[in-house]
Amino acid sequence: MAFGDHCGEMSRWITAQCCENMVEMVDNPVDNLCCGAGGGAWAGPYAKERIDFGKWKADQIKATGAEMVVAACHNCRDQIKKSLTKEFDLGIETKYVWELVSDSLVIKPWTKTEITKARKKRNAQFVRDGVDLEEL
Amino acid sequence: MEVLDLDKRPKSKLELDPKWANICYTCGTCVSACPATGLVPGWNPRTALRAIALGLEQEVIDSKWPWVCTLCGRCQFKCPQGAELLKTFRKCRTVRDRDKVPGSLHKGTMMNIEKGNNLGIPRDDMLHLLASLGAEMEEDDEHASCPGFYVPVDQEDANIIVTMNSKEPFAEPDDMKFLWRIFHAAKESWTVSSTNWEGVNWGLFSGDDESMKIQVERVLENARRLKVKTILYPE
Repeated sequence: MAFGDHCGEMSRWITAQCCENMVEMVDNPVDNLCCGAGGGAWAGPYAKERIDFGKWKADQIKATGAEMVVAACHNCRDQIKKSLTKEFDLGIETKYVWELVSDSLVIKPWTKTEITKARKKRNAQFVRDGVDLEEL
Repeated sequence: MEVLDLDKRPKSKLELDPKWANICYTCGTCVSACPATGLVPGWNPRTALRAIALGLEQEVIDSKWPWVCTLCGRCQFKCPQGAELLKTFRKCRTVRDRDKVPGSLHKGTMMNIEKGNNLGIPRDDMLHLLASLGAEMEEDDEHASCPGFYVPVDQEDANIIVTMNSKEPFAEPDDMKFLWRIFHAAKESWTVSSTNWEGVNWGLFSGDDESMKIQVERVLENARRLKVKTILYPE
């Protein structure tokens, strides 16, 4: 598992709790390069430049040898998952850090009382907002 | 080649202090640090900053350099002279005419100002989508099902208010369930706003400070209106 961001220790710690073998992308966070889709580039028209920029990130990801890369940002995740993986044949799975947590959960089912209480609140909300559950 | 008279530089739109011409040593550390070096012929952090310092800022503003640059800030971090390269390149975006902002950034920003999210998703469509996804969560068997789950909308006094990324309701609605499953497991008290719920601030990227501020104010206003103390901004 490799963590692809420069967004901080908390995400790193969370990732480590979910994976037995987390590896760092690089030794120094300042060398953990931008994915190439930052600053709005994912929504921009300069696809060739975005991909060429992303080659640096693709090389860093490849060098980790990891099976999964975790991103804490929508742009990084989309760039790696939808573009770099294909362009540079990365053969890697990409997840949001909160997706990794979600996938790692073993959820204890709520009690009947909790469920009844939640549904009552939900139904009141639907009435207030004019949402008809039968129509969904 | 025309000689540049530095005393006759046009007034800077970027409001760059003229002493910056001396601050930059032209060492090129920024060029080595920048993954975008080589992507736009003629431009890199050093040539762009030098051009601006020498009064040729319009050439930089008109080039695609400030938009191929992802504003990662590595140039500025590495600069031994403390030149504010990141800030300067973003300012180049700010001073470009709005109808020349590349791609959908400006369009999305204006849509957000007008409709409350970058993609113009109407309130009722959003409320029905959230209700419908909530119902799926109760039955979802691919992951653990979450009986009792629903998306609390405009719920006062919740612990957390969460912004949403319009790309998800628009194109990848199931991806919203990752976060929701965590809230369900933690029995968190949380809510979303029925209006102005957009978390993606494209004014930041398009260089539009005024719209950026409006968006931030809306996120704060939602939290104040619903008396929620913590804003979760998963962007």
